[in-house]
Parts: sequence; structure tokens; C-alpha cells
Amino acid sequence: MSFSAFLESRRADARKLVTALRKQYAYVSVLGSDIQAKSFRADRNSSGITSGRDTECGFVVKLSNGGVFFEYSLDDITGDIPALAASIAEAFDLQTLLSGNTIDPVTLPDEPLRQSFARENDLAAYTNDRLLSICKELSAELIAKDEHVLNAVAMIGTREVSQLFLSENRELDQNYTWVNGYLVAIYRDNDKVVQAREGANAHLLGDVLRELPQCTDKLLAKAQKLTTAKPIEPGVYDIITDPSITGLIAHEAFGHGVEMDQFVKDRALGKEYVGKYVASPICNMRDGAAATLSAASYFFDDDGVLAGDTQIIKDGILVAGISDLASAAQLGTRPTGNGRRESSRRKAYSRMTNTFFEPGKDKLEDMIASIDHGYMLFETNNGMEDPKNWAIQCVAEYGIEIVDGKLTENYVSPVVMSGYVPDLLQSITMISDDFQIEGAGSCGKGYKEWVRVSDGGPALKARVKLG
Amino acid sequence: MKQIVEMLDRDSRVSDYKLNITRKESLELFYVKGRLETVRRTDTTDREVTVYVEHDGFLGDAQFFLYAATTPEEVAQRIDEAVEKALLINNQAYTLPAEEQGKYEVESNFADCAMPEMAARLADAVFAANVTEHTALNAVEIFLNKYTEKVFNSRNLCKTQVRYSAMVEAIPTYNGETQSVELYEQYNISSFDAAAVTAEIAEKLQEVAARNAAVRPDVMPECPVVLRKLELAELMGEIAYQANYAGIYAHATLFGKGDCIQKEPQGDRITLRMMGELAGNIASAKFDSDGMTLRDTSIVEDGQLVAYYGANRYGQYLQEEPTGALHCMQVSPGTAEAAVFEEGTVLDILSMSGLQVDFYSDYIGGEIRLAYLRENGRVTPVTGISVSGKLSEVLNSVRFSKEIDTHDQYTGPAKALLTGMKIF
Repeated sequence: MSFSAFLESRRADARKLVTALRKQYAYVSVLGSDIQAKSFRADRNSSGITSGRDTECGFVVKLSNGGVFFEYSLDDITGDIPALAASIAEAFDLQTLLSGNTIDPVTLPDEPLRQSFARENDLAAYTNDRLLSICKELSAELIAKDEHVLNAVAMIGTREVSQLFLSENRELDQNYTWVNGYLVAIYRDNDKVVQAREGANAHLLGDVLRELPQCTDKLLAKAQKLTTAKPIEPGVYDIITDPSITGLIAHEAFGHGVEMDQFVKDRALGKEYVGKYVASPICNMRDGAAATLSAASYFFDDDGVLAGDTQIIKDGILVAGISDLASAAQLGTRPTGNGRRESSRRKAYSRMTNTFFEPGKDKLEDMIASIDHGYMLFETNNGMEDPKNWAIQCVAEYGIEIVDGKLTENYVSPVVMSGYVPDLLQSITMISDDFQIEGAGSCGKGYKEWVRVSDGGPALKARVKLG
Repeated sequence: MKQIVEMLDRDSRVSDYKLNITRKESLELFYVKGRLETVRRTDTTDREVTVYVEHDGFLGDAQFFLYAATTPEEVAQRIDEAVEKALLINNQAYTLPAEEQGKYEVESNFADCAMPEMAARLADAVFAANVTEHTALNAVEIFLNKYTEKVFNSRNLCKTQVRYSAMVEAIPTYNGETQSVELYEQYNISSFDAAAVTAEIAEKLQEVAARNAAVRPDVMPECPVVLRKLELAELMGEIAYQANYAGIYAHATLFGKGDCIQKEPQGDRITLRMMGELAGNIASAKFDSDGMTLRDTSIVEDGQLVAYYGANRYGQYLQEEPTGALHCMQVSPGTAEAAVFEEGTVLDILSMSGLQVDFYSDYIGGEIRLAYLRENGRVTPVTGISVSGKLSEVLNSVRFSKEIDTHDQYTGPAKALLTGMKIF
């Protein structure tokens, strides 16, 4: 698999469109996206090969004359380019709307750079037949292994991204892939039906196909345990987080809070805390498409800014935020490569990419041993940010009770963790020396604008409210 | 598209096919602290082709997208690939809806004027609400959308519908002397009523002023909890899923026909109807993505699951009459007068981080961003607390308001009174 032939065929037209629109606008860029996503799925009764939800092909034109930003999303840019440029400009002849109060003038940077980027991938090595067969075999294996399995879903999702970015001074293209595999067991035992899941993800399909079949026994054991899970008695507890929950905390507690378009809107309390302690001094947190290789690793963002690696919290002190091009221009800072769109049909915002706590020095077994009574929490279900008021809600799929420094057989589910962000982050007293990123997440801004993200880190010991 | 239809008609390997063509036109306005920051326009069309292949007693299907730039050679290649994929799929056979034609428009006054004028009127209505001292709308996003959806299949079905919608995302903020707080509002509408938009945003601005004054109670109350339309939409959505053909076929639901959602009801009994169209409901449509005409279906009556609903394929698998993919939820009003929700001590929840509802774990709960603790007429705004309870017990005792309200896909009681929830 390689860079999109369709986008390559539109490269010259994109250049012409930039040139044509530059006669009327000080800043012009064109982003073309050709994203091919496929989903292979099998369960007890059915199977399917479908276009994944990320599939898209289109363009977005961004314009600025120093005031309001304009964006136009369209399917294609070929044909009579001067006429297309004229029709785009005409679409923004909106006197009624533009005669009102608008933002202060800013200049969008357009530093010269011409570069092509590609990451090795192995999608072409596997046929549709083989991938569907693997899903069918995994589903059948799960059903055959345990009579309590009502249904078992095996899914492999592949995503190949090609993007072309052009402005007057920049011409960039990129091609990369990401693969997610899931197993879900719908399991009945102890008079209770539960759903349990396991996953594997990597940029190489071969890696996912090696890892996924090794998850079946673990999945069934977990499903059985979840049928014994009881509701947790609400209260404040010492907890240990698995890497998934650590990542959820990083994401919800401070990731959203340092998206700098929120700084522009005065929507993030973090803006007032740059340079101040916001977490325990043993905490270090980063975000960046270039910070690690995972689901949100790209070479340049949807504004044509190269991928970054931003230290957000250093030794407990908030040091920096993450930004898109327009927000950085309004704040007078350098963009960090975090301008992301749900698709070429949506606006670019400041968004997280791969967000994680850095490893500490503690051993996980010592962390568990240090707790008289508490819970170890596992697997992200969902979370909700509140960057202005620093409230947090994170939902874990399940927890295991810790008594006298040992993990018990007592499962609780679901577990809703809530509280005040600084209280949570300052309660972190131990951080494990291992590290894992979960590359299977999606993140919304508010309740929309979904993008692929990853998060994770080591295990954390903290004290929080559970319910 | 004519060319691809001819190619599909000629291809003897293709048993059936379906084309879904969706054009989206939008005008989007983004305001930062009351000032216009970004204007976006979109004019895009999705063209999705589904190819069905009968083989060995099964029916396989596969989809592909066509782009404006797709050449006839590429179309032929994609049909070949889709046929190959469909031959790998051994699904139970079913038939496509057939012999129906029509052009429809879901009623909306968004069609009454051009998009720029309507967007300006929407913006004016939103900002007209901002008259409360110390409050502001730090961020406002307005999306005005027009969808033209066409379904065409090999069984002589051809339908087109036009739907309009608008979404306002507003961030009401209170700027006090010592702190600044905000709430989140996403308001979806299918028709424009300036007064209603202004009233909705004004209510949120009043609520954010209350959030500024909100405190964590020293002593956690033990009292009933009031949920409003947003959370009720979440709760009813989970109940509706229990009756969906696709979920039932996948063994992913817990209830069957005849089962009681409310085991021992002592409050109001739930009656939930899934509908194709409902005035003011943003999910209103004339047909679904298969082109199925939508058939309103009562799925829960007096707390008992009485019928299933859902799209064509899984309906046929379950040997049920397909209702089409119904998305509008209509819940019957309850018996509680407005005073019931303010009597004695109640925790009246205005904003949550997100209500968690889980039938598997028998759980309902979440973190509260703002609530009014009502104690015999005295009202204290509270925050920093959470609620949780056993879903089955809560459903047994729930009481619904007589008053009706609409939120997105939900039209039903404006409020519900829940007992047995722990506040902590």
C-alpha cells in the first residue's frame, strides 16, 4: 500500500487552486484526505466485510485575510480551477454575518517545507479471504471453548491514511496505517449476562494477528469473573490503575484541559496554572503524534504542521499546552502539531493525539502491597472532561478488590471514578516502572468531533471517589 | 450514477444492489467570546454502493464508496472486489424492500430562507439570551444542515427525502469575583423558533450562575433524585436497545418479549413507542437507509416489553415484520404534577458529566456538575457529588412528570423522580 493515486492526480490542481485563491486571500491551504478503512467481523451467526467508519475522500480549503477564518469542504477539486476558486470565494460573500463583531486580525504562519512521509505497512500481504477467515475461526474458537458463551465477536479493522497538504510555501504528503483487533464475548453464568472484550493494536497487521489469538483464554476467564462482579460500595478508596485507566485519567484530567483552543475561549482553568503545580511532583505527562508510535501517530497534522512531542506536566508542574494553527496564532505561540479534524468535512480543533503519563520507579507488586483496602481498576469504558471546572468522571469496566496488600477474587463492575482533578492528580503517590499504550480509543470534543486517539502509561496509585 | 446502475444490472454475479446517495450542505458559524472566529461551508456527497450476492444458500454483501473522481474502470474494479468479498460472507438470506417510490421532505421551517439568513437568525436568537449579569457565552458553534438522501435498489425501490437540522453548542460561563465556571449545552433542533432558542440558552445562563454559587454539601442528603430530559433520553435509549432486532439477534440484550423492564412497579409504568416521525424530534425521517417505510411500534407498555423493532435484515432473521430503523422515542407522560418534584427534600439534577446506565450490571449513576438541593422550599445549588443506584430498583419506583419535553431523539416526560439512589 502506498500514497493515494487519487490525491496524487489532484496535486497539480491543488497547486492551481492555492494560486488562484491567493489573489483574494492572504493565507490559503488545501488539505486532501483519502482514508480507506475496512472492517472484518464474524460472530456466531453472521459475518461481514464493510467500509470502516473512518472511510472518507475529500478536500478542505482554508482561507484567511487576517480576520475570520473560512473553510470550505468539497468532494473534488478538479476541472475549471479558476471557476472553482470563484465559487468558493462567493460562498463566503456573507455580508450579514461578517458585518458583526469578529475576532482580532491574526496572521497564519506558512513556513516553507516540502516533504513526503511514509511508514512501512503490511496490509497488502493479507487477502480479504484470510482476514475474514481469521475472524470466523476466532469467533468459533471462543464459542467452542466455553458453553457459557452466548455469542463471540471477532473484528479486525484496518485504516490506511493518505493526506496531501498544500499552501503557498508548503507541500506535504503522508501515508500510514493502523490496525485494531477486538474479541468480544457475550457470556452467561451465575444467572447474569456480561460482555467482556480484549484487543490488540499495532501499525502492522501481522503484529495484531499474532497477538489477538493469544487473548482468547484471558477473555473467557475475565468474562466468567465479570459474572461474579458486584456493585461497589460508594466511597473514597486507595486505587491502582491499569495502563488503560491511567491513560483515561491523563486524557480526561489534563489532556482536554490543555487543548489551547480552550485557552482562546477562556474555557480552560489550565491557562492560569502554567508554571504551577497541578499534580504530585512524581508526575510527568506528555502528548504528541511523534511522542510514541500508536493510533494517533501521524507525520503532520490537519493544518500541515509537523507532528510534535509536548511535555504537558513536568515533575508535577504544568508546563505547556497543545494547539492547532489558528489557536496558536491567536495566542501568539507556536503550533504543536495537534490540529485535527474528524474528517475533511469538519473543522480543525486543538486535539490530543497519544497522551500518557511517563513511567515512574515503583514496582506494581509493591504498589498493590501498600494498600490495606482498595481496588485495582481495569479497562476504560468512557470518560468526560470539564476543563473549566476541573471535575472529572472516568468509568472503568471493572475493578478487583485489594485486601491487606493482595488482589482478591472479588470483582466489582462498573466502577465510576469522579472528583476534582487537582485532588486526584495530587493524590498520586506511586508510579510503576512499566509502560503501555492503548491504541484503540476515540475521543470527542464535547459530544462531537470524534478522532482516533491513544493513551496509557504506567500503573498509578491514587486516592479517589468510586461509585 | 446511471452508468454504475447499468454496470450492476448487466453483471450476472450480482443478485441485488443498493445505492445510498447523501448530499450534505451546511453553513457553520464558530464564535469565541461573542466574536465570529470561523465560517465553514460544506457541499459534499456520499455515494455508497452495496452489492448482494446469493451463493450456496447464503446471501453475502459488500459495500464500496464512489467518489466524484472514480473512473468507469475503477467502478468495474470495485464491483469485482465487492463481489469477491460478498462471496466470502455466509449470512442467512433475506430480501430487500421492493416496488416503492417517493419523494419526501420532513417538515421544517429551515427551508423557508437561504442558509446564511437562517444562520444569522439562529445566531441572533442565541446571543439575545445573554442578558444576565456576569454571564457570557464563551464559545458558540452553530451548525445548519440540509441532507438530501436518496435510496435506490435493484427491486425497483427509489426514494428521496430532504431533512434539515441545526445544532447549537453553547458554553454558558459565569465570571465571578473569585472564580469562573461553565456548563455545556448542546441543543439540537429540527425547526426554528427564535423564542424557544433564546429561552433554552437563557435557562442555561441562569443555571451557570447557580453553578458559581454551588457548594459540596457538608452532609450528604438521603433523598429522591430528579432527572431531566437529557438524562431521561439516555435511560430510555438503553431501554429501547433491549428491543432492537440487531441486539436481540446478537444475543446482546437481556430482555425478551413479555419480560418486565419494571419487575415490581410501584410508581409510573413505562410506555415507550419508537416512531419514524415526531414533531420537533431531530431523528424524524420518512424512511431508513434500506428505503423501508417506517412503521411506528410500541415496544414497552406498562413496564413490559411487548414488541421488537428494527431494520429489515435482522427483522427478517427473527421472523418479525421489519419496522424500519426507528429512531424517535416517545415516552408516555406520567402522573406527577410539577409540585411532586419540589416536595420535601429532593436533589434536582440539572447537569451531569454523563448518566451511566447499564442493564448488565444493574447500575445507574454518575457525577453531578450542578443540582438544586431542594429542602422544603429552600434551594441550594450543589456540585462535586455523585449518585448511584440499582437500576432495577430505581425503575420500579420511578415517577414521571405529566409535563412533556423533547431532547434530540426523545420526546417524553420532562422530569422523573427516582428513589433509592445513594448520594455521595
